[in-house]
Amino acid sequence: MKKSKVFLLFVLGAFALVSAQKKKELDKKAILDMCGCYEITFKYTETFAPEIDYEKKLDYTAAALEMALPIITEKDRISIQHLLVINDTLVIKHWRQDWEYENQNVFHYDKDNNWIFQTLPKDQVKGQWTQKVFQVDDSPRYSGSATWIHADGKHYWENKSDSPLPRREYTKRSDYNVMKRGNRHEITSFGWIHEQDNDKVIRKDGEEDLLLAQEKGMNTYTKVADERCQAALTFWEKNKGFWAKVRSLWDEVYDRQGNLTLHKSVDKMPLFMHFYPMEKMDAGPVAIKETIDKFIVEQTTGDEQGK
Amino acid sequence: MSKENKYVFLIGIIIFGVSFFLSGFSSSDLKLSPRLQEKLNNAVKTTFEVETFRLENIKIPNEVNAKTPVEFGGENLFKISQDSQTLGYVYLGQAPSMKNIFDYVVLFTNDMHIKKSKVLIYREDYGRQIGSQRWLKQFIGKKSGDTLVYSKDVDAISGATISAKSMTKAINDVLASIKTLQENRTI
Repeated sequence: MKKSKVFLLFVLGAFALVSAQKKKELDKKAILDMCGCYEITFKYTETFAPEIDYEKKLDYTAAALEMALPIITEKDRISIQHLLVINDTLVIKHWRQDWEYENQNVFHYDKDNNWIFQTLPKDQVKGQWTQKVFQVDDSPRYSGSATWIHADGKHYWENKSDSPLPRREYTKRSDYNVMKRGNRHEITSFGWIHEQDNDKVIRKDGEEDLLLAQEKGMNTYTKVADERCQAALTFWEKNKGFWAKVRSLWDEVYDRQGNLTLHKSVDKMPLFMHFYPMEKMDAGPVAIKETIDKFIVEQTTGDEQGK
Repeated sequence: MSKENKYVFLIGIIIFGVSFFLSGFSSSDLKLSPRLQEKLNNAVKTTFEVETFRLENIKIPNEVNAKTPVEFGGENLFKISQDSQTLGYVYLGQAPSMKNIFDYVVLFTNDMHIKKSKVLIYREDYGRQIGSQRWLKQFIGKKSGDTLVYSKDVDAISGATISAKSMTKAINDVLASIKTLQENRTI
């Protein structure tokens, strides 16, 4: 009797392990399905605003050709570098998304170009994937953990995360200072959809967040032949060494708890503009570190975060 | 003090107290709440596209105020200026919605044409469509003395009839009142 119970427990345990492994493989497949050459349409429209005198801003629409390139594929980590292709020849390093399995180290945006780094409890991230999103210069944007769902023929991941203003509004608006991003990544038959339900909020020290307006975003990635993104592949082959050094040095910065505040610009230039010439000359780690360090604001104690 | 006198004294105290309480809320003494002031400032900033400006309350004589359909007795009419230049005028008023009142502004150019109108604070769930600039833009360019007929000159809003009619009437009243002020050379 006792032996049979042990055997049953062993079988159940093995079954659970196999199921978890199968689920993880499905997750990894979904994440890697976001890779490839895509025609993208970006659409954003403001929806609801609690105050009647708020005047909704005009819709934003844009289109692009982009390569989503898997630059790291490990057991528990996938890194996808997005590369914009303009007029089939000009390539611009775009955003990067890292996916980490059962990861405990996350960061979220506070306000005023400050991010909070923290460690989540192990049981909170069980079976989850963290998506970490980085700027064009590999500085942080936002991150969040959630479970990939594979049900009813759908494959999607959803999360809500605080982030700085999106690039399209970064220099144009000052009436809100934090975007609470509702991100939904769904793999489809034609590619994938990055759907967003965003809250534009005003955050002040020691006060509750004030909602200014809500926004719907729909970024549709339609897969096209990889040859159309050949310029991106050539660009990456030439520059991947430089950016590997940049990522590695940023990783050292991210190995922290608490605040990371960055200057928006140094010598009247944002970080990515400092990196352009350095990328061309394939600058070494010392020069890259010096440049990154210039953007890190020395912390003083007693920072009060918004709620 | 006799019992009768005591009653008279008590009633007198109550009447005095109620009068004092009500006078504290009369429109002529109303001060703008910080929220309304902020919304008014934002309306001026975005309409005239200025960061800094001055709002000067225009006092209207009681005898002229008595002739106008809208109230000018409190903080209602302001001249908007920047440095020594007059940018325009703004009228701040209240109008009824279905079960409450809402605050609105009408912003004028120097020659008293409507540059923009906005609903600043709305206090119920029904009828909020009147806050949309897609509807409010119909009032742009109207000038003192113009009259608008709801659902003829101004689109009707299904589901917001009471508030939309009320806002149309408020605009008509403001335009008529501005004409009266001009005729009396008050502005």
